[in-house]
Amino acid sequence: MASTVGEPVSTSPPSPAERTDRGRPRGNPWRRPWAMEGFTWLYIVWSIVPIAIAVLFSFNKGASQATWQGFSTKWYVGNQVTSVLHNPSLHQAVIQTVVLAVLTTLICVPIGVGFAIGIDRWRTRTANGLNIVMIFSFVIPELLLAVALFLLVTQALTFIRLGTPAEVAGLVVWNISWPAIIVRARLVSIGRSYEEAAADLGASRLGAIRRVLLPLLMPAIFASAVLVFASTVDDFVIVEQLSSTANTQPMSVLIYSNVHGGLSGPALNALATIMLVLSLVAALIGYVGYRWMSRGERTKGDADALTGIAGI
Amino acid sequence: MSGGHVKLESLTKQFGDVTAVDEISVEIQAGEFFSLLGPSGCGKTSTLRMIAGFEPPTSGKILLDGTDVGRWAPNRRNVNTVFQSYALFPFLTVAENVAFGLKYKSVPKSERDSRVAEALEMVQLSAMGKRRPNQLSGGQQQRVALARSLVLRPSVLLLDEPLGALDAKLRRTLQVELGALQKQVGITFLYVTHDQEEALTMSDRLAVMNHGRIAQLGTPEEVYNEPADAYVADFLGVSNLMDARVEPGGNGQGRCRVRVGDFTLEAQAGQLDAKGDVKVAIRPERIHVHPYETGGVNCLPGMVERLVFLGSTTHIYVRLANGSALQALVRNEGSAVPYSQGTPVKMDLPADALRVLPDPGVSVSEIHDETLGDAPLDLTSSVPTSS
Repeated sequence: MASTVGEPVSTSPPSPAERTDRGRPRGNPWRRPWAMEGFTWLYIVWSIVPIAIAVLFSFNKGASQATWQGFSTKWYVGNQVTSVLHNPSLHQAVIQTVVLAVLTTLICVPIGVGFAIGIDRWRTRTANGLNIVMIFSFVIPELLLAVALFLLVTQALTFIRLGTPAEVAGLVVWNISWPAIIVRARLVSIGRSYEEAAADLGASRLGAIRRVLLPLLMPAIFASAVLVFASTVDDFVIVEQLSSTANTQPMSVLIYSNVHGGLSGPALNALATIMLVLSLVAALIGYVGYRWMSRGERTKGDADALTGIAGI
Repeated sequence: MSGGHVKLESLTKQFGDVTAVDEISVEIQAGEFFSLLGPSGCGKTSTLRMIAGFEPPTSGKILLDGTDVGRWAPNRRNVNTVFQSYALFPFLTVAENVAFGLKYKSVPKSERDSRVAEALEMVQLSAMGKRRPNQLSGGQQQRVALARSLVLRPSVLLLDEPLGALDAKLRRTLQVELGALQKQVGITFLYVTHDQEEALTMSDRLAVMNHGRIAQLGTPEEVYNEPADAYVADFLGVSNLMDARVEPGGNGQGRCRVRVGDFTLEAQAGQLDAKGDVKVAIRPERIHVHPYETGGVNCLPGMVERLVFLGSTTHIYVRLANGSALQALVRNEGSAVPYSQGTPVKMDLPADALRVLPDPGVSVSEIHDETLGDAPLDLTSSVPTSS
């Protein structure tokens, strides 16, 4: 036994059995994990700093995206020509993004919820086969889907016009996995006992779904709506293919097409910042809302909220 | 609230290749407190779920007051269930939970409130109507579940291990309350449990189930005192089970001679006309422990192996000369038990308490009562049968 005389308890050398192969004491197992913490912070800085700089320059007084010339909100509201507020193509992009996000969420979530309930509660061979559709957007490259949809609406389904209708259709298809997977996960964790209890008390099958299952699914439905919204705001590939005129270009497309020339300058940073804030606020509302809605449940709440918001 | 007569006719449930319930036939009288007792996997819950309507029977009939309801949807049956998990709706208040089913009962709105209040009063939760289920304790939640079912005045109430998630003391209290409540409302209770104490305390009659079949049906006294086979004897309470062989002679006079290891014992209970290999059983509380010098019929020599103090009683584990073990239960009446580990004693097995049971061929140890832990109870393997 190594001598421990005079050593504080927390740093006393371990007994021989705790030594490593090389015979060196392993040290205090409760010390701070400096290396791990360091890497984590390095990663956070690495991923956040560029975004922070982009956001910062949206508040630049001058027209430079590289040299800081003082604080101003002119690129949001002040500038009569190229601020987000006054430039028609810039604020049209903001409106188009919000319209697409709202429409897509309203259409996508009910379909996805119905899809999840159908697959989980009425198990048949068909339902099991359709399971694969749920992971659709994780398997298929987005560009492939976008090009395919473009061909589809320009060659075959011409009644879906390019522009907002085609964009919404594409975004719904692409985002259907969110509600489907999140709601299904919650269906599994809820189990069947609540529906059985409802049926036992006299509810029909549809009655049990309406009065019991849907309220129980509400947190998951809400979380998936928020994710669909945020993911639609961020989407670029599909809307780029399916937009038609400048009027139907959402923010992402506008930023992309102007970043090397055209409407360059901090106004684009301002547009990107608005996009970022929209997504962040949606995610925050989602997290808080989910926690609030599932507060009645003692367990699972935390894990579900995390998986729900982080996207499984 | 009329009716409540349940008759199961050759009821069978198969899940794939597994037969969970195997041609059960049983008749439950209206107003009876009837228990299905057995270890997990014995088919008791499947039986209950078929009566509730959550599973269709593979074959057989479920007659509820003479009508076969086996294929009816659960919401068409005048039967309600209290679930082990309570299944209270977390987004509704206690009162709303209780009122849930009344919506389907064409009860006028004015009467609804009074019936909810009445039901909550019955389970002593009148003050809790506005709370959410998660603000209640487990025992209170279970009472809400009871009220939610009873408010509909079903003809049969199905209870699926309703006290399973509660602690021992609360379970005892609720056992008494449930029994009293059942007498008060007069509804047929069909109670599923793996806890023999619950089944014995509350039931008018009970069925012990094993591998999808009913091993024995009777009143708690009958099933406990006169178990039909070794399985029932072992499942209900602690039994000393020994492999034995019937010896010729003594038959027909209300007694039977059996050979256990090197000893011949006289038994006056059970299947006295049995032949060949049997099991003999005796309850620990019926065994008398005497000093070693004592002699007499049915006295087996042994050595005290372990004393376990249980409060009101002390368990004495005695190892017999042939290596098998018996346990006796001695009431604690103020004085200390005059034996200690290693003391040689005589175990007196009164002939009228020694039962001869047919051997159902199941391993007794696999169904064992957990209260005794690793007590040396596995007599089947340690007792050599003389042949």
